[in-house]
Amino acid sequence: MAISDIYAEGIASGWKVIDASSLKAAQTIEADVAIIGSGAGGGVAAEILSLAGLRVVLIEEGALRTSNSFKDMDEARAYRELYQEAATRATSDGAISVLQGRTVGGTTTVNWTSSFRTPAPTLQHWAAQHQVVGHGVDDMKPWFEKMEERLSIAPWAVAPNANNSVLKRGCDKLGWESHVIPRNVKGCWDSGYCGFGCPVNAKQSMLVSTIPVALQHGATLVHRLRVRQLQHADGKVTGAVGEALGSDGRTPSGVVVTIKARHFVAAGGAINTPALLLRSQLPDPHQRLGKRTLIHPVVVTLATMPERIDPFYGTPQSIASDHFQWKDGATGPMGYKLEVPPIFAGLGSAVLNVFGEPLRKEIAALPHTNSLLALLRDGFVAQSEGGSVRLAADGSPILDYDLSDYVWDGARRAYLSMVEAQFAAGAKQVRPGHLDAPYYASWSEARQAIQELPMKKFRASLFTAHLMGGCAMSENAAHGVVNSRGTHHQIANLSVIDGSVFPTSIGANPQLSVYALSAQNASALAKELRH
Amino acid sequence: MILESNTVAQRGAQGLARRDFLKVGAGFTLVLSVAGTLGVLSGCGETAKSAAKSFVFLQDGDLQLFGALTPAVIIDFTTLDGTERAARVSAVLRNLDNTFSTMDLAARQELRKLLDLLAIAPLRYLLTGVGAWNEASIETLQAFLTRWRASRFETLNAGVNVLVKLISASYYVIPASWPAAGYPGPLARMYQAVNS
Repeated sequence: MAISDIYAEGIASGWKVIDASSLKAAQTIEADVAIIGSGAGGGVAAEILSLAGLRVVLIEEGALRTSNSFKDMDEARAYRELYQEAATRATSDGAISVLQGRTVGGTTTVNWTSSFRTPAPTLQHWAAQHQVVGHGVDDMKPWFEKMEERLSIAPWAVAPNANNSVLKRGCDKLGWESHVIPRNVKGCWDSGYCGFGCPVNAKQSMLVSTIPVALQHGATLVHRLRVRQLQHADGKVTGAVGEALGSDGRTPSGVVVTIKARHFVAAGGAINTPALLLRSQLPDPHQRLGKRTLIHPVVVTLATMPERIDPFYGTPQSIASDHFQWKDGATGPMGYKLEVPPIFAGLGSAVLNVFGEPLRKEIAALPHTNSLLALLRDGFVAQSEGGSVRLAADGSPILDYDLSDYVWDGARRAYLSMVEAQFAAGAKQVRPGHLDAPYYASWSEARQAIQELPMKKFRASLFTAHLMGGCAMSENAAHGVVNSRGTHHQIANLSVIDGSVFPTSIGANPQLSVYALSAQNASALAKELRH
Repeated sequence: MILESNTVAQRGAQGLARRDFLKVGAGFTLVLSVAGTLGVLSGCGETAKSAAKSFVFLQDGDLQLFGALTPAVIIDFTTLDGTERAARVSAVLRNLDNTFSTMDLAARQELRKLLDLLAIAPLRYLLTGVGAWNEASIETLQAFLTRWRASRFETLNAGVNVLVKLISASYYVIPASWPAAGYPGPLARMYQAVNS
């Protein structure tokens, strides 16, 4: 069955798509609005601004990869072509692995489709603690509804795969809350390959939804173009300077592309947007730029189950538990959301982080392996201020992130919750992803041992797939980089429309939070620019 | 933080000062304290060495290192015949090189520091107990990995984590490795449909 390639057909019908690696000479592109970054924020903004009749240019550093190139369903190809630093991005010290997309559609092209509304306590906390206006629970409701409809977001109606069933069964046995995850899919095959690019265009990523509509309405997409700098004078951005990347998608070809526009939208996400603004030396009188980067630090546990799990097949995430998320309020001891990751052999072997005979045995047991993960909700209290972004000598971003005792306490409790759930679900043995943790044969043995584990970087395996903050919104210019509408406090014609405006982490997978907030702020911007 | 090399130093580095020769900063920043008294460091600092032929990032010394460590991490290799074994090691090296060359500057520099450190024979022996990479037994190499994991120095923990994870991920993305991981390959009903 041939799956039609949206872009092959669109480009044939006249879409303006420029592969900057093919450019031979310097050029200037003019538009009403230049959007830098094509992920959850940039994709939504491109559609809304194009539909409003504005001439949009959408710029992406990664390459345009479409369903035709996803047909191999191959892990190595996916990391190499679709992820930042081939999925090896990490914090500056290497302690936290960062999974982030780098392709047209950004992380939405490779995420696992979980689509939650921003939890009410998070929105309330923003208003109360971060002087955010216009994004309360009632303000956001129509925007969640709009984006849920736009991207076919609904609770997954098919039975969870064996991997997710472990979490469901564990929660049920223990009387813990759990729920079915809403997903942004249309005609999903329940295959499990969301992370490698959906080969059947079922996932409603930006790649197949908003960006095609923007292109149908005259937008220009330029990919393999890295914006080095926003030029500015007298409180306004006057242009953007980009370097075309060569066919390897990494090395600049030497061709410079200049972008002229009335308005600029930074949408590179919580690592690349602060880095762009830092490189541009935009005014930052209160030193807020690149600060409070929130990441939902993730810890994992691994269980050997008696039944077959095949953790690589089937919808990757369909069950979650908020039992430990808000039980002490937004600002009590750290809360966490429990979910399940898919496990493929390549990245899975790295998560095992063992060698020799233990690796041989554990990887052989992959078909019976279940993993749980906890998303720790960072950024809600003074002991959890998140990390920060700075620049390397060549201008590339560096993320520093340290964990306080407050965060480590959350991580330890998360280990305990996950291990308890896995044993309740019938696990034969369970271990935390930690250098000092062997497999435990029972919950009582595990409970005692986990209390003693040294909670330290490099001993505990840490991950993140959710990058937030760094250009926080606040009505108080001393507290944030942009206001609640995403407009830069010092630069009038610059907006930030992506997850970097979040003042805290979300407390759930953030894509729908980015979609809804971006739709709201981009709609306001469209009105403003049409006048 | 100053790394004292205790037992490792006692084991073999006659005449080397046991303190202060290697400064270990927070996290994974290794700063070679160029103790000029140590002749062992001559040759270090030539970080501008070029990549091995047909590689982008890996240098000849790195190829020896990863060539030796790969069968210590992936012990399945011991059951393969010579030709198959060479082919798979070669595929791992190729994957590692591809991966390293996509890393941002800061990560590449940290990795280079680790690999350069391990390329200096006396320091390597002191820190890992490994002499020449191509002569070390699997047991010696695994003892090195075990020692670094157990170390109270974060830098060594970080170093062993990066070596083990990169080698295993670079191996288990190769289709030939999937039977050992119980992964039947791309979901057949979808793969056949989209490729027909």
